[in-house]
Amino acid sequence: MDPYKTINCKVIKVIEETSLIKTFILEPEKKFSFATGQFIQLTMPKIGESPFTPSSSQFAKGPFEVTIMKAGRVTEKLHELKANDTVGIRGPLGTSYPLNEFEGKEVLLLGGGVGMAPLRSLLLTLLDEKDKYEKITLLYGAKNPADIVYKDQFESWKKRGAEICRTVDAADNDWKEKEGVVTCLFDDYSVNPKNGVAVVCGPPIMMKFGTFKLLELGFAPESIYLSMEKNMSCGIGKCGHCGVGKYFACKDGPVFKYSLIKDIEGIWE
Amino acid sequence: MEQKFISNEKVKALTKKLIPDYEIFYPRRQEESWDWARMEADSEFTFEGHRTVLPLKYFFYSPQENLVEKKKDKPRIIFGARGCDTKGLSLLKKIYLEDPEDPHFRKDVLVFSADCTTHHPDCFCTVLGDQPWATENFDLNFSIVENGYLVSVGSDAGAKFLKDHGGFFESARSEQEKSMSSHRTSFEEELKKFNGNKVLDLKDLEGKIEKHSDVFKEYGKTCVSCSSCTNVCSSCFCFFLSEGDENKIRYMDSCQLKSYARVAGGANPREDLIERFKHRFTCKFVYRPQMQGFNGCTGCGRCTAGCQGKIDFQEVLIKVAEAK
Ligand SMILES: Cc1cc2nc3c(=O)[nH]c(=O)nc-3n(C[C@H](O)[C@H](O)[C@H](O)COP(=O)(O)OP(=O)(O)OC[C@H]3O[C@@H](n4cnc5c(N)ncnc54)[C@H](O)[C@@H]3O)c2cc1C
Ligand code: SF4
Ligand code: SF4
Ligand code: SF4
Ligand code: FES
Repeated sequence: MDPYKTINCKVIKVIEETSLIKTFILEPEKKFSFATGQFIQLTMPKIGESPFTPSSSQFAKGPFEVTIMKAGRVTEKLHELKANDTVGIRGPLGTSYPLNEFEGKEVLLLGGGVGMAPLRSLLLTLLDEKDKYEKITLLYGAKNPADIVYKDQFESWKKRGAEICRTVDAADNDWKEKEGVVTCLFDDYSVNPKNGVAVVCGPPIMMKFGTFKLLELGFAPESIYLSMEKNMSCGIGKCGHCGVGKYFACKDGPVFKYSLIKDIEGIWE
Repeated sequence: MEQKFISNEKVKALTKKLIPDYEIFYPRRQEESWDWARMEADSEFTFEGHRTVLPLKYFFYSPQENLVEKKKDKPRIIFGARGCDTKGLSLLKKIYLEDPEDPHFRKDVLVFSADCTTHHPDCFCTVLGDQPWATENFDLNFSIVENGYLVSVGSDAGAKFLKDHGGFFESARSEQEKSMSSHRTSFEEELKKFNGNKVLDLKDLEGKIEKHSDVFKEYGKTCVSCSSCTNVCSSCFCFFLSEGDENKIRYMDSCQLKSYARVAGGANPREDLIERFKHRFTCKFVYRPQMQGFNGCTGCGRCTAGCQGKIDFQEVLIKVAEAK
């Protein structure tokens, strides 16, 4: 098996989430499955490759979804994809959210911006086995109402049993929910750090202040899980690019317990 | 393991016989330095000397290559690899061949190493506590004795090679074994003395690198981020991938280049030159031993020899390691 070779996937559908973010429903030519939190390398033939975390439930059969923000060279090209186009994937790669450690606990998902992609996968996976967890909460922040991803899905997640609070940095006239950076959601939401775990994903600055807030609220560093986004190339622990201190984010992560990396300099950069 | 003897004439005859079936390289003397040359039927060679200018690693993978199945190349034999290069293979093999295996890292390379008999002015294997001869990752090792070489076996492939070419070798005599030991000891002593009889204790280096970042500030001043140091290193492994027609293309890369750690949106955790310079040390003496179990440096001194900023890697290492 050549770990650099890709599996072809057919683009089934493209959903426009925001002006910069699209969700792609992909159908792999070969059998493919992943554990929530793991990532894939998505290849635009002859153009380049970038890492993304599937945003659908790990239990969903058949096609899976990735949600991609336009951020540069490769993602611009990915955004040009249409139904019936072909892309390549490698993976699944890296570590996943340790669901067994979440069982019987209150699971708190704290997300910002396109960081919602891996959290959506986790949320849907948790909801698929809802009875295993004490409580499932999503705290989500976006820049403004227009930047919220999966806009029409939050209601259905609530119906399935998730507790959800949302905030935007800058509200408009129609916005009825909270206004302020994501950590302000803790003003109205009481956590249970003793029997809780928290999962954080979002832009580095949000991850940093989100994590510090969780610590302040009494979460142990062992109970906070982070998805680290680093420059990646090989995705299989060989090229050296994704270093988080002594770890390779692609192999030892991307999901890390905060306790494992808390003393490493520069993790938020 | 039993040792064998091969005479100077027989080595010549052996390499001649091997040429049709193998791609063979050996260290060729160029005034004061050694480079890798392809063995031809009329090549004049000796296994005296020290490490080549370029490292052994590029016989196992290329600095730039298409990751496609190659048309069946001949297997390779590399004569005269030195201890620092074979030691460097430990980390490279750990990275490339384990979990998952990289099918483009060649497994059909026989390493016929040779004891160093001279050293480059930048060599410092002994300062790291290592010996100037191959202790691992060799198939056969050649030690110069009178009129030929004492040959030691380092792997099953080496043992098989000896068996398949038994006619060229004879049993070693005990005075040849003694002569090998005494050559080794006296050369090791010579190199140790050259390096001020230092053997560094690298145990607490992690804290020291942070604590004495002023050393990196001072020495890193002249670094121009050219990446020679990592390109010629016996154990640096970093690369990046781009898209080829069939599969990826792999290019060697370097943590000393500014673009190395850049992420989407332009954020770069190692924007600062001194941070990058320091990272090379931390990678080699802290991260790799902790995670892969091997140092990322074997003391070959190539980084110093090739540095455009005239930075003496050994000197920096000693400064930090000996600081309180
Ligand atoms: C584990 C993981 C999961 C992720 N999940 C998601 C997700 O679910 N959704 C999402 O939107 N984002 C996700 N990201 C972020 C996403 O991977 C980046 O936004 C994406 O790689 C940006 O690629 P780009 O080429 O468009 O951006 P650019 O800024 O152009 O490039 C990003 C990187 O690609 C390399 N690069 C760029 N140009 C070149 C070139 N010419 N030659 C060689 N290399 C070049 C550089 O090393 C650069 O650091 C994830 C990242 C990681 C690490
Ligand atoms: S760091 Fe320098 S001395 Fe050490 S193995 Fe690499 S090139 Fe040789
Ligand atoms: S020193 Fe730099 S180039 Fe060498 S292995 Fe470490 S990170 Fe890679
Ligand atoms: S060889 Fe010298 S100048 Fe070039 S990157 Fe390395 S330390 Fe800097
Ligand atoms: S992306 Fe290559 S080592 Fe992690």
